[in-house]
Amino acid sequence: MKNTDSTLLPIVDAPLARRDVLKSAGIGFGSVALAGMLGLQQQQVRAASDAEAPRPLAVKKPHRPAKAKRIIFLFMEGAMSHVDTFDYKPTLQESDGKSAPGGGKLVASKFAFQQYGETGTWVSDLYPNVARHVDKLCFLRGLHTDTPAHPQAVIQLHTGAAIASLTRPSMGAWLLYGLGTENQDLPGYITINPSPNFGGAVNYGSAFLPAHYQGTRINDNGQLPNLRATSPATLQRKQLELIQEMNRGLQASPGAPRELEAVIQSYELAFRMQGDVPALLDISQEPESVREAYGVKPGPQGSFARQCLMARRLSEAGVRFVEIRQPGWDHHNNLHKGLQTNAKATDQPTAALLADLEARGLLDETLVLFGSEFGRLPTAQGPDGRDHNITGYPMWLAGAGVKPGYSHGTTDEFGTHAVEGRMHTNDLHATLLALMGLDHELLTYHYAGRDFRLTDVAGTVATEIFA
Amino acid sequence: MLQKLDLLESKMPAKLPRPETAGRGRSLPSESRDSSRKPGASIISRDIQRRFRRLGRTLLLAVGTALSVQGFAGAADEGDAAKLEFFERKVRPLLVANCFNCHSADNKAAGGLRVDDHKGLLQGGNRGPGVVPGDPEKSLLVQAIRQSDPKLRMPPEFKLEDEQIAILEQWVREGAVWPALELPEDLGKWDANYEALRREHWAWQPLQNSAIPGVSRPEWVWDELDAFVLARQEQHQLNPVADADRLSWLRRVTFDLTGLPPTPAEIDAFLADATSEAHATVVDRLLASPAYGERWGRHWLDVARYGESTGSARNLPYPHAWRYRDYVIDAFNRDKPYDEFLREQIAGDLLPHSSPEEFDEHQIATGFLALGVKDVNQRFKVRFEMDNIDEQIDTVTRSILGLTVSCARCHDHKFDPIPTTDYYALAGIFQSSDHCAGLRNKMGGGGLDYYDNNLLLSLASYPAPTTSTDAEELAAAQAALDKAKAEFERIRGTPEGAELAPNGRPKQQVARQKMNRAQAALNALSDPASLGAVAYGVREAKQISDTEVRLRGEAEKLGPVVPRGFLTAVDVPGTPAVNREQSGRLELAHWLSSAENPLTSRVMVNRVWRHLFDRGLVSTVDNFGVTGDTPSHPELLDHLSQRFIRDGWSIKRLIRAVVLSHTYRLGTSQSPAELAIDPGNRWLWRHAPRRLEAEEIRDAMLAATGTLSSARPESSPVQSLRVIEMRNNGQESQAILRTAKDSQHRSVYLPLVRTLVPPSLEVFDFAEQGMVTGSRDTTTVPGQALYLLNDPLVRKQALRYAEQLVAREDWDDTQRLREAYLRVLGRAATPAEVDRAGQFLDDYAAISANVLAESFAEAASAESPPESEVANVDTVPVKPANVPDPAANPDDVEQTEEVVVEEQILARDPRTAAWASFVQALFGSAEFRYLP
Repeated sequence: MKNTDSTLLPIVDAPLARRDVLKSAGIGFGSVALAGMLGLQQQQVRAASDAEAPRPLAVKKPHRPAKAKRIIFLFMEGAMSHVDTFDYKPTLQESDGKSAPGGGKLVASKFAFQQYGETGTWVSDLYPNVARHVDKLCFLRGLHTDTPAHPQAVIQLHTGAAIASLTRPSMGAWLLYGLGTENQDLPGYITINPSPNFGGAVNYGSAFLPAHYQGTRINDNGQLPNLRATSPATLQRKQLELIQEMNRGLQASPGAPRELEAVIQSYELAFRMQGDVPALLDISQEPESVREAYGVKPGPQGSFARQCLMARRLSEAGVRFVEIRQPGWDHHNNLHKGLQTNAKATDQPTAALLADLEARGLLDETLVLFGSEFGRLPTAQGPDGRDHNITGYPMWLAGAGVKPGYSHGTTDEFGTHAVEGRMHTNDLHATLLALMGLDHELLTYHYAGRDFRLTDVAGTVATEIFA
Repeated sequence: MLQKLDLLESKMPAKLPRPETAGRGRSLPSESRDSSRKPGASIISRDIQRRFRRLGRTLLLAVGTALSVQGFAGAADEGDAAKLEFFERKVRPLLVANCFNCHSADNKAAGGLRVDDHKGLLQGGNRGPGVVPGDPEKSLLVQAIRQSDPKLRMPPEFKLEDEQIAILEQWVREGAVWPALELPEDLGKWDANYEALRREHWAWQPLQNSAIPGVSRPEWVWDELDAFVLARQEQHQLNPVADADRLSWLRRVTFDLTGLPPTPAEIDAFLADATSEAHATVVDRLLASPAYGERWGRHWLDVARYGESTGSARNLPYPHAWRYRDYVIDAFNRDKPYDEFLREQIAGDLLPHSSPEEFDEHQIATGFLALGVKDVNQRFKVRFEMDNIDEQIDTVTRSILGLTVSCARCHDHKFDPIPTTDYYALAGIFQSSDHCAGLRNKMGGGGLDYYDNNLLLSLASYPAPTTSTDAEELAAAQAALDKAKAEFERIRGTPEGAELAPNGRPKQQVARQKMNRAQAALNALSDPASLGAVAYGVREAKQISDTEVRLRGEAEKLGPVVPRGFLTAVDVPGTPAVNREQSGRLELAHWLSSAENPLTSRVMVNRVWRHLFDRGLVSTVDNFGVTGDTPSHPELLDHLSQRFIRDGWSIKRLIRAVVLSHTYRLGTSQSPAELAIDPGNRWLWRHAPRRLEAEEIRDAMLAATGTLSSARPESSPVQSLRVIEMRNNGQESQAILRTAKDSQHRSVYLPLVRTLVPPSLEVFDFAEQGMVTGSRDTTTVPGQALYLLNDPLVRKQALRYAEQLVAREDWDDTQRLREAYLRVLGRAATPAEVDRAGQFLDDYAAISANVLAESFAEAASAESPPESEVANVDTVPVKPANVPDPAANPDDVEQTEEVVVEEQILARDPRTAAWASFVQALFGSAEFRYLP
């Protein structure tokens, strides 16, 4: 796949001129109309006034030609049971009730598996819609991680490590640090409905990286309060200049809070967001047919569908990293029903997202990542449950830079241990960064006397999966 | 292996005997006070656990096996094999095919009855026990399938074959045998790893006495605590930076202690005080101010996951929760000793009291246990109960002990030595207590269905109700309700119910309304909340008993009974054993608040430190377990913990010592050398600037403009809400948010309905109300900038202050600017700032004369209400609670979504507009938001 000559946005060294960014960002907007009079004013004013400000979030040149420009992460929080969904284990299906090699009683999946696509990949009946796209998916089937508890594993998946004494930056923050973001009128890193548990803001935080790299949280009803400018742009800009002057004054003092640059940047971004973002977040502007395809509806049942559609709109508009979330996969009990409920909430929207990205030509530059913090055991926990499994589980990728219809690695015959193509969380991160054009060993930040990386001192890129 | 374990044990015999279980190892099921417990139920006593540990794995497995063979909860013994086979082959298929659609966990439990669960059948539903083992004639299930009673016919659509009926009759006659649950292999197993953790993990070891460390600069040490800090710095070749200037220190300590900025008068007084006691004078003044309790009480409310509604899928208000809020604030203001504060919250109802006021205070304190998130839409009572107990255990253990005990609900804790049996030892204590939040569970309820006024605590010290309730009147109201209920039940779901009444509505709906009206009339006469003052909390349950382990945390899957008790990992010498006649909360309260409990003091000292230094000595303030952080200064933590206990658990004395220390006095400046060694400031060589919390930002804006009321509101706007489901777009919700927006009270008094957090708080990382929050997140995101640029609350405050400044005709602009800087930022403006601001005002006024011409005209034509007319919205008329207009029942009336009308905030003229914009810019500046 050719990625160097981008159709959407050239990756350049220096900060882009204001006008170029606006022009480029405009390409992806599709049906999004520009906001009303105030918004237009906002744009005219900023075009004149913000050439001078330094831009830490301006697009930066990657280490190597990027295969993907953006990531959408569909996070299945709580650990989806892989042997019931995407990791078909015929031996397990035949071994129901038998003793597992490592102890416990094996339980076959109650869901039937079928082969799909030209690759004949097995997917359970829980995901009929995603299964139709199975030839686009690139499975990482040999993942493993360190801690069989949700808080630590979720934090590790997002930040590379889960050591209480030192919080690390999240992967989205590392991406912004390394690449900047394409659309200066939007946050470069957006997380929709992040969990208050399992580390909370740590999972989209910047830790010791400058605070302007942290993720912006929004909810799934597309409302970010106070997005409408309440004074004419000329006057607001005047006021903003005064605020920023005060802020820079404080920044120059020896005791300045370390978040000050982030405060300054948040004002610039907020000012620009008043233009396009209200429309961008408003998924009711999508045609009925699109909303139907995603399965958009009000209420909690439609949450994931709304998130998927918002993710596409945001990603299309140039947001570097978008994370959306489906919680409730922690099926120590009620596995059967619970899987059905959660798969129902995620199958159609996920498939629609893949189809929509493809139809818009965005899948070539967008990397979709789908999965959990770990997997579940093939053995029984109680009458209808499975316990945590950190020694082998899959995630899948789709889109930019990865081989479609490909499986890398495998777990053993029961789905317990990763036996081939083993990838630790550090390896996953190294690979994701590589796809984005970043060398995980070169993407460092000096802090506390040493260079830190997303991948700590480990990480091997799984080049096998590159298209 | 055995020998090794024996050796390990013999080294530490003193730790093993657990006073609360002494002599209870021999207790037998027949001695249990719980009459519902089945013969054959087994008890894993703490003694047996000890024996497990002592004798090692071999015996353990033997006992474990015995447990599973013996079975429990009405399980069959080996002689029942044939009956079990009969059940599996004949009975269960019948139940599955004919009953499960309406009476099972996976579908619904019509009439409250479940037939997919043995206990469900025995307990039965609304009509009574479904099955009486051995007695088909008394078993409703048998009567229903015989269909001899026209009001009790099951299945409703047809009648079972005679031989099918006979099968079920036989099964009941023969004892209604049900297969035993399979016990997990590891239940009650004592993990050898746990022993090591008990011995080695720092957090639950006794407090250590450490000598005050020697330092090379003893003159730097003002308080002993400084020596611990300096010693670490010297060890790391760090030098503390220079002290903060007086103004910075004053601003810091004033916000830290009261959440408010210092007033100009306070600034003047401090700067003028040349005595050596000047700092102490300030600290004592702040600690004595009611604002202290409002700030530090809020810290505890974060930890107590305080909220004024259930949250969850059906959000119902807690109209009386504010009493707990006020209790907490008062406790901090009176410096109630922390151990006593804890005892009151866990077992206030069981403590002695010397006056009705004290009795009330103790009751209200137990609101701590009742105000959590609840899922009232839960179908099964037992699950509702066990979920609430889990919420209580989680809150109590994380807030007070910094331990995640609720991880052990389904299985032994994976990291900390907390076996699931410990969890159920605690669960028994809470199960023996009534959870009084005025709510019951009901699937798909509407209107007042969830409201249960039997689950309220009546307060004693309030004036007696004015309406003297006539017994006759009451009886009549009750009779009317019974009649209306009977009528509703009679036609509910019948063809007659579907017929239209004269008013054009279905008769069933009319009957329901009539029933609701009768309920309302009765409530007006009998509801304690209508008649007097009530609070939430707990009280002793009628049935006091130990409870069973719930296998994998499933409420109905009963394992062995565990005696009530505390955590085995935390050794607290001298704790009394659980009184068998009581819930055990009193003893739990003593166990938690004992000076010998090393976690309690450490956790609280660390919380205080975190609020004063923006980071705890243990950074994971709510997790002192194995996965938590280790203390940066363990000796200091123990030193302060011991002082805390020695000083009578006085939080004020602890805070006073810390804020008068040299460590707290340090400036915020950074030196490259120190930064290179310790960029995260773990060794406290500088004072880290702290971003104000959400409440402080709002309160400081209101304080600067002189709008902040220092009075405490009489209650909460939530008090006027009826206990019916709130919808986020519904009128009540919008009214609550409006009230919050217009309130002039301190933020701690804003209504805090879960999922309806006032935007002014939410935007700056307000505490997650669903769980213990000892350390709020601090994010820097564009939503905050948007709030400060556009939110009506901010703009209104800015305009209000601008109007005040402009109105001072005796001042020139320089004086106005000086005043604004002093009020908002707590310091004098520099000449350069005065010049810059003057330029801004001129420019802004000139531009706005053009671009805002229309809005000035609009403002002039609109009648601007004088300041005095701004209603104090917290005094909304209080309707009698839960005496609804039945027409407002959500079953009958769609709650309409309110159209939000945008508020116009318009300046009168260019000059005022410029001043408003300037004041708003001060609010928006980082300097306003960060403490030096």
